[in-house]
Amino acid sequence: MDLVMTARHHGPEPSTQGMHDLTGTDTLTGTELKTRDVGQWEQALALVALSRDKQAYQELFGYFAPRLRAFGIKMFGNEQQALEMVQDTLLNVWQKAALFDPNRGCASTWIFTIARNVRFDMLRKKQSRKDDISADDLWADGDYPEAEDHQTQKWELWLITEKLAPHFAALPPAQRLVMEKVYLEEMSHQEVAELLGIPLGTVKSRIRLALDRLREALDDSER
Amino acid sequence: MTQSVNHHPSISLLELYCDGSLNAEVALLIATHLDYCPHCQQLRRDIETDLGAELAATNPATSVTEVHSTDWLEMMNKITATPQLPQATPAVQPDSQLSIGGYQFELPRSLRRIAGKRSKWLSMGGIATARLPSGEPHHASLLFIDKQTDVPLHTHQGLEMTLVLSGEMVDENGRYVPGDLIINSPDDTHKPRNISDEPCLCLSVLSAPLQFKEGLTRWLNPLQRFFY
Repeated sequence: MDLVMTARHHGPEPSTQGMHDLTGTDTLTGTELKTRDVGQWEQALALVALSRDKQAYQELFGYFAPRLRAFGIKMFGNEQQALEMVQDTLLNVWQKAALFDPNRGCASTWIFTIARNVRFDMLRKKQSRKDDISADDLWADGDYPEAEDHQTQKWELWLITEKLAPHFAALPPAQRLVMEKVYLEEMSHQEVAELLGIPLGTVKSRIRLALDRLREALDDSER
Repeated sequence: MTQSVNHHPSISLLELYCDGSLNAEVALLIATHLDYCPHCQQLRRDIETDLGAELAATNPATSVTEVHSTDWLEMMNKITATPQLPQATPAVQPDSQLSIGGYQFELPRSLRRIAGKRSKWLSMGGIATARLPSGEPHHASLLFIDKQTDVPLHTHQGLEMTLVLSGEMVDENGRYVPGDLIINSPDDTHKPRNISDEPCLCLSVLSAPLQFKEGLTRWLNPLQRFFY
């Protein structure tokens, strides 16, 4: 298998074509959907985060591994360290995909910042200065966004994709209503609770339930 | 009363920071400035977006040797055999408070961990310094200046970079509030003073001159950019 060739897309900018097809459809009780610039790599990260999707990961790996290597060779001046950086960076991508937040930037930015941090810590380690200033001190904010509720964040991306729309429409009405308010109208959980006159805990439960349902539906449809 | 940050790092300095090629001590100073400055945070995001796009646009076939696809496959399989991280475990939060001279200061995020590793405070009059872990040729330290206190004249061979963390300072060139970055070259004869009734805490980084030959002028030029 030639991994490098498995990436569907080789240009610098991932295609966003076909991602906005939901706009204008009437499946979501006429709520106007916002179009977002969600690309291939952002989606692949969401799939890796959600279901350890190896196919999606392979696409990311196939595209970014050789580029990170070229970047690493430029930075380190040698292949061995470059490959160490590639492996460490892409391991982070695999393990921390759930921390990627498409609202804060695109996938390539996120992957770049991981590579930058990995490289910084590699250099510090080499100087036996690992316990001094570390990449986490310098770039912690924004790179690994730890949102209060990041379980729901990673779903946001999905709710606007074609793949999930039919399942979204099939949610029980109460859950669907909460989901629409939170994800499509971008209301806070508290605002939704006040609007619908239900406890905050109920809003959160309904979201969790709906997410589980969607996860199941997604798993089933891929079988 | 909130006062906006007025003295920012230059774009080139921010670029070096985002790039990861700045030495750790100066990078720490920039990271700390960002903790105070939403404007530079936005710039940082913009720069990182650029750098990320550059990475994505890299031509992977720039070097003569190529990695065999089975080696890539092996690396990938090794990675995907690793479990994904569980939900973020709350890390032990380092102490955000610092006491010196009978005062309590709230430390910015970037300094919390590293400030715990400071050496003993050395005091002299209303001034105290504590060295942070840093190696030659850079020295990073916390600098405490009590209210109504002048910093004695001191000499330094390299650049002296100071970031105000709390309180305020004045010198011949102006007044500095938390988040403000002050860069002084060896030629500068400035006399920082705390003329306020509040104590002042700073992060100070001293660098040997040889480190700065190349970038000196481009770092210094846009020293005082006023945004607001």
